[in-house]
Amino acid sequence: MGGLAVRVQEESQRAVQVELPAFADIVREHQGMVFSLAWHYLHDRALAEEMAQEVFLELYRHLASIQSPEHLLFWLRKVASRKCIDQTRRRAFWPKFGLDDIPEPSAKTRQADPMLSGALAKLVASLPEKARMLVILRYQEDLDPSDIARVLDMPVGTVKSHLQRALGVLREKLARTVGEIAL
Amino acid sequence: MKILGGFALFVLVGTAGYGQALDLKGLEKLAAKASDSTEVALDGSLLRLGAKFLSADDPDQAKVKKLVAELKGIYVKTYEFAQEGEYAESDLASIRNQLREPGWSRIVGVKSKKDRDNTEIYLKTGGSEPGGLAIVCTNPKELVVVNIVGKIDLDELSELGDLGVPKIDIEKPKSTKPADKKDHD
Amino acid sequence: MSNLEDDLRIALRREEPPADFTERVLARLNQPPAEPTWRERLAVLMRPPRLQWVAVAVIVSVIIPAGVQYRKGERAKEQLLFAVRVAGTKLHQAQHKVAETGRMGTRL
Repeated sequence: MGGLAVRVQEESQRAVQVELPAFADIVREHQGMVFSLAWHYLHDRALAEEMAQEVFLELYRHLASIQSPEHLLFWLRKVASRKCIDQTRRRAFWPKFGLDDIPEPSAKTRQADPMLSGALAKLVASLPEKARMLVILRYQEDLDPSDIARVLDMPVGTVKSHLQRALGVLREKLARTVGEIAL
Repeated sequence: MKILGGFALFVLVGTAGYGQALDLKGLEKLAAKASDSTEVALDGSLLRLGAKFLSADDPDQAKVKKLVAELKGIYVKTYEFAQEGEYAESDLASIRNQLREPGWSRIVGVKSKKDRDNTEIYLKTGGSEPGGLAIVCTNPKELVVVNIVGKIDLDELSELGDLGVPKIDIEKPKSTKPADKKDHD
Repeated sequence: MSNLEDDLRIALRREEPPADFTERVLARLNQPPAEPTWRERLAVLMRPPRLQWVAVAVIVSVIIPAGVQYRKGERAKEQLLFAVRVAGTKLHQAQHKVAETGRMGTRL
């Protein structure tokens, strides 16, 4: 059927033997990206790992339709983003914050870098769903707004305005706790 | 039913055909020789159950849901072989005989010398029961047979084949960014 | 580039999952489907003895059939999507080939 070799697992669950080593290479190459996306979004390592596994299991089922390495990367980002966002929507106890309701980190003085990173990561993880994923795709994956728009199926203008607003809020919250942040 | 222009891609409208699925049992022995095979048989309640689980929020799944709304059955058998010569034309004799029966019309036959692919598409018409579609694709190491019973829009079905990824709304990106980014620090 | 954006890139840099991540993915490919999570949640009902038999009755008469039906439906959906993909792809490929050559099929 063309594309990367894939063998669809039958409903009777007969084990698939062919092409697994090639698929393992694909997993190793992209596991950092997928796991990190889930980890930064969910801020729960066990859940992030499970989510990342789900993404690759889904990739295995759809390998035949992957057309290029760029398409693969795009597909992984798209599916990982969607699964993360769906996961938070399913979790009824997930606290919903508006951008203005993000709690400030508890540290009150300027911290060393790793703690600043930790505080910032926590702030990002408590952003509303879409804003959170936008920030992660922008700063973890270094995607520009048009690429983010394709991944998340959003208008580019919306991506840009959400990003700008999210940065503004993050800046403000962080500035209150760690001192002046150079703009 | 009209054939327009170069390739016949036309909507099957109205009820036609005798509503009978092809008998594909003769192919099942090939599973033992195939390096990999997949067999799907969805009819009646199982087809409706699967359609019910399609998500209306997912654009691709919504398209599939609309496409299969009037189907009575969908049957697919795919076989891939490690070597050439693992199956013969005689293995397809039973299916070809059925496709020669009244009601079936071969509307497309495409051979590719380069890939040694051969694709034939048949439509079932006539009678008061829903129509059908049969696709037989062969190449030296692969055999695919599809049988769809019921009304189906070929344009929409072909579009879904163009999408490549039926489950998730996704398109090939235009960006040519490198696949991986290094850390920034 | 603002410091905040630099700090975000550092804070959100990629991390590797546990070392056996790939092996675990491959292992799951060969496993039967995992138990539905509703079973785990229902295990809570089993703990207080006085509710145990009520829970069993509910599970046997309602939950198990619903769970089985759910899994059956999901599998049917997967198969349906696969079947439509195969049919659509072959149809589309044939269309493309005919369009390329500019002629209809010629022979049996």
